[in-house]
Amino acid sequence: MAVGLNHYLILAAFIFSLGILCMTIKRNAIGILIGVELVLNAANINLIAFSKFTDGGVAPAGQLAAVFVILIAAAEAAIAIAIFMNFYNSFQTVDVDRGDELRG
Amino acid sequence: MEYHNTLAIAVLIPLVSFTILALFGHRIGKPFAGYVATAAIGLSCVLATQVLVGWVSADDEVRRQLIDNAYESRVTWADFGVDAIQVHVKLDSLTVLMFFMVTFVSFWIHFFSLGYMEGHSDEVDGTSKYHRFFAYLSLFCFSMLGLVVSSSLLFLFIFWELVGLCSYLLIGFYFDKKFASNAAMKAFIVNRVGDVGFLLGVMLVFLHLGTFDLDQAAARFATQFHNGTGLFASDFTLFGYGLATLMGIGLFCGAMGKSAQFPLHVWLPDAMAGPTPVSALIHAATMVAAGVSLVARIFRLLTPEAQMFIAVIGCITLTITALIAIVQTDIKKVLAYSTLSQLGYMIFGMGVGAWVAALFHLMTHAFFKALLFLGSGQVIEGCHHEQDIRKMGGLRRKMPVTCWTFFIGVLAIAGFGIPTLHFGLGGYFSKDEILAVAYERAFNWPPTIEGESDAGHAASNAPSPSTESADATMAASQVRLISHPETPVARGAILADATGASTTEHEEHAGPTGTEQKLRIAAAMPVLPAWMYWLPIIIAYVTPFYMMRCWWLTFCGKPRDEHVYEHAHENWKMWLPLVVLAGGTIFCSFFVFRNLIHDAAGVLADATAVVAIDGEAASIAEAGDGAMMTLSHGPGRSPHDALTWQVGFAWVIGMFIAWLIYKDGLALAERIKRACGPVPRWLEQKLYFDHIYDNVFVVGTVSIVAPIANAIDKFIVDGAANATAFVTRVSAFFTGRQLDMPVRKGDIGLVDWIVNAIAKLTMLLGSWIRRPQSGRIRTYIALTAGTAAVALLCVLFSDVIVAVCEQIKAGFNQLLAGDSVVAAQSATRLGD
Amino acid sequence: MDNLLETLAFYIMAGFAAGSAVGVVVSTNIIRTAVFLLGTLGSVAGLYFLLDANLIAAIQLIVYAGGTLILIIFGVMLTSKSPWVRFDATRGQIIVACLVAAMMFAGLCTLLLPGEWSGGPVLEQSPRVKDVGEALLTDYLVPFEVASVLLLVVMIGAAYLARPEK
Repeated sequence: MAVGLNHYLILAAFIFSLGILCMTIKRNAIGILIGVELVLNAANINLIAFSKFTDGGVAPAGQLAAVFVILIAAAEAAIAIAIFMNFYNSFQTVDVDRGDELRG
Repeated sequence: MEYHNTLAIAVLIPLVSFTILALFGHRIGKPFAGYVATAAIGLSCVLATQVLVGWVSADDEVRRQLIDNAYESRVTWADFGVDAIQVHVKLDSLTVLMFFMVTFVSFWIHFFSLGYMEGHSDEVDGTSKYHRFFAYLSLFCFSMLGLVVSSSLLFLFIFWELVGLCSYLLIGFYFDKKFASNAAMKAFIVNRVGDVGFLLGVMLVFLHLGTFDLDQAAARFATQFHNGTGLFASDFTLFGYGLATLMGIGLFCGAMGKSAQFPLHVWLPDAMAGPTPVSALIHAATMVAAGVSLVARIFRLLTPEAQMFIAVIGCITLTITALIAIVQTDIKKVLAYSTLSQLGYMIFGMGVGAWVAALFHLMTHAFFKALLFLGSGQVIEGCHHEQDIRKMGGLRRKMPVTCWTFFIGVLAIAGFGIPTLHFGLGGYFSKDEILAVAYERAFNWPPTIEGESDAGHAASNAPSPSTESADATMAASQVRLISHPETPVARGAILADATGASTTEHEEHAGPTGTEQKLRIAAAMPVLPAWMYWLPIIIAYVTPFYMMRCWWLTFCGKPRDEHVYEHAHENWKMWLPLVVLAGGTIFCSFFVFRNLIHDAAGVLADATAVVAIDGEAASIAEAGDGAMMTLSHGPGRSPHDALTWQVGFAWVIGMFIAWLIYKDGLALAERIKRACGPVPRWLEQKLYFDHIYDNVFVVGTVSIVAPIANAIDKFIVDGAANATAFVTRVSAFFTGRQLDMPVRKGDIGLVDWIVNAIAKLTMLLGSWIRRPQSGRIRTYIALTAGTAAVALLCVLFSDVIVAVCEQIKAGFNQLLAGDSVVAAQSATRLGD
Repeated sequence: MDNLLETLAFYIMAGFAAGSAVGVVVSTNIIRTAVFLLGTLGSVAGLYFLLDANLIAAIQLIVYAGGTLILIIFGVMLTSKSPWVRFDATRGQIIVACLVAAMMFAGLCTLLLPGEWSGGPVLEQSPRVKDVGEALLTDYLVPFEVASVLLLVVMIGAAYLARPEK
């Protein structure tokens, strides 16, 4: 069976769900960041796959969107790591459950 | 260089100045920050003058080429599928003229500010905000110029809001003073009310006309008229107004806010809390003019009904504010109310179709009102911040230049002119032209055809307004009374005569059917009610009165307060602008400006509202390729002749009465005031508008919203606790008598048990409710993702869910039906 | 044959990506998680090659695998007293989270599978690196420049946020 768009979409959906799962169950702040990266990768797979299989003449649009996603992911990772270091300085840990000062 | 580029640069120069001042203003320091802003607007003014001169000397062909070039240079600003938003400099006579007017007046206001801020405190909150003042002025100029050159409603709206922001910043310049910050907020909030309407109007335009571009929108609007599609296909009506009319009224709401029209006029007098140059800038040249120029721009999107609405609003505004102006004692407040009244005239002019006259009045008003405001600024500054005209008097010996330039302003606003000689100042021509058109609309309507034999026939066949049906109303909305674009020959006759030199050269060669149709439509147009003609006429007498009163009390007579008198002085940096603006006031009375506006009126060829120019007899003429109607007068006659005995000498009478009353000080005025009973007090209280708004909106809001907020607080936040208390109380009522009897010592009674149980329940509830608010990021992620997933599933399986619901409902119904069948069966069995 | 190879390559890489992603979630050690992430990122880059998105694949490898992942590892090293520190979620949390993820997956599959994605004709030739680059510097120049400003802001912001407290 030839590989079509749907194969990629299912893979992306799977990785996306795992990213959500990762964000939810990791108590390590960096684990949450890794989950976010998975989600972004899943989105990128979709973008590229759509760009390949159903590109209505606007050739590189999907690929360009992916470029910007990667770029923003990198920026987000840098900022997130900086925030985690501040968090670590305040709480002496990266366990996000310890940072619950906003609880109701 | 192409003119649109020149104008674009001239718009951007103040922005550069603003950027410089905002970033480095505090380093540039006190006098030089002002020089930067003044130089920037001066440069803009030079460019604008160059464009104006070039434009006036260009002939029609060159102008058309320039306009085309401006249009060709448009830029796509945003493209979102439906319609690309394209921007270009809107170049036409109106733009050129407005641009010149704004830059010129602004430049002299900047210049005046240099002198004004020398003597005024620039310290706010302990530090010098001198640079900030000029930065705001620059930003204001940028926004205003942007507004003038905007070709699209979207950009119009953006600059509109920028102007509003700047006025807020400038009025509240002394923000450490409570009244100034309050006035700023009032101006801002009242303007928001109007802007909501404006925004709705813009949305309707985009929704039904599919574009933000003014020209395109107008063209589509006209097409929809004739085809009865789009806006006009909609049978949506509210209070008898169609959607198209509501769109026009919505757009006009913006103008109502900015131009401070009734009932949104309340902010403008309070805006006097800002520094005086700001008052001049906002109330003379720019911001209030924005409203009128907006109406001019959207004129082609108005239906006759919307136009009538505008006329009514303008008429009310010009009347009540002029009456209030009579009793004001603060020199700036007098000017503020006179501004309101004059704005009312302009809006009224737009409403009756005097497009050209209203804009001409805007131009002349900009000059003489800037002059008056700056003059009052000089007086206030010279008199050591005294603003009460009752304490002034006799200042003409101390401030001769201010006195006589101010007097020129007073003459201009009073409508000084000599009928039949076509000699006078700006206000004379512009105001009288508005009134002349109103006269035609009130008494000479519908128009008859000029020089065509079958005119009477067509007119007599026209349905009369009283018998108009729904069909006729539809036709009424198609009236097209168009001003007649000038021929180059006519434009050459600049300065020639007061009537506009354009009235007899009609080329009449259009098909009779078109004319007939238009006549029929015109006949179905509503006649202007007589009171809407007489009120402006009466106010034309009141205007000279209160202006003369203000001038006389300030500059003539005997000094009433020695301290103020002793202190009075002039400063060249402040009176030089006065002299220039006085020159401008006289200069702009000539017809170079009016002719340019008249030229701009050519675009109104497909207008659906009534457009009229100065006129003696209403008539219809066909000119050029666009079939047009024009209110025109016969050769050799002018509107001022027509109205000579009604308003021609209003300025003499008004000023003379003021002189009679105030020539010996305030004593006689006091007696008259006492004789008038409560009326002066009503006027002094500004007809209680502020009180009404305070009571209706502020108190009303508080009394309506406060209980709601309170209720939310009480019943939802404290709900558990209150419910507990209630249950406890109820149970206590019973148990207190019967159950609260501990059998043994140490045993708790039932009441206590219930109370404790309820307390525990409450705690449980509370801990349950607060659990989602854990402050833990993972919980939030899980909740967000879970909600998204559930929402997604709900959307995807909506069919299933609906089907299940239907099934349940059907089952339930069946159950009920079955019950009733069973019941019926049992009933019949019983019956047996 | 070509088709078969392609299919095979897809299944291998997709399987590797999905497996690594599962590993990311399942592993409790943060270093191992990071390594599994590297596996996912790398195999996704392989998928990009399959999809003729050569530039994106290269960027994926360079920026993600080479940059972001290193950043993450550094973050781990700077914020852990010991790389073997574990904080695990409770069983209940894991169950709820799995439920949410399963719902999400189910929803996405239902949404995507029956989709008729005919956005237009499939291009004869996939865009080459040259095309992407040209588009980036012509039609997409403004976002490109904005992105560069964003990166500058991020650089300064991250340095500011992470500076030692005085």
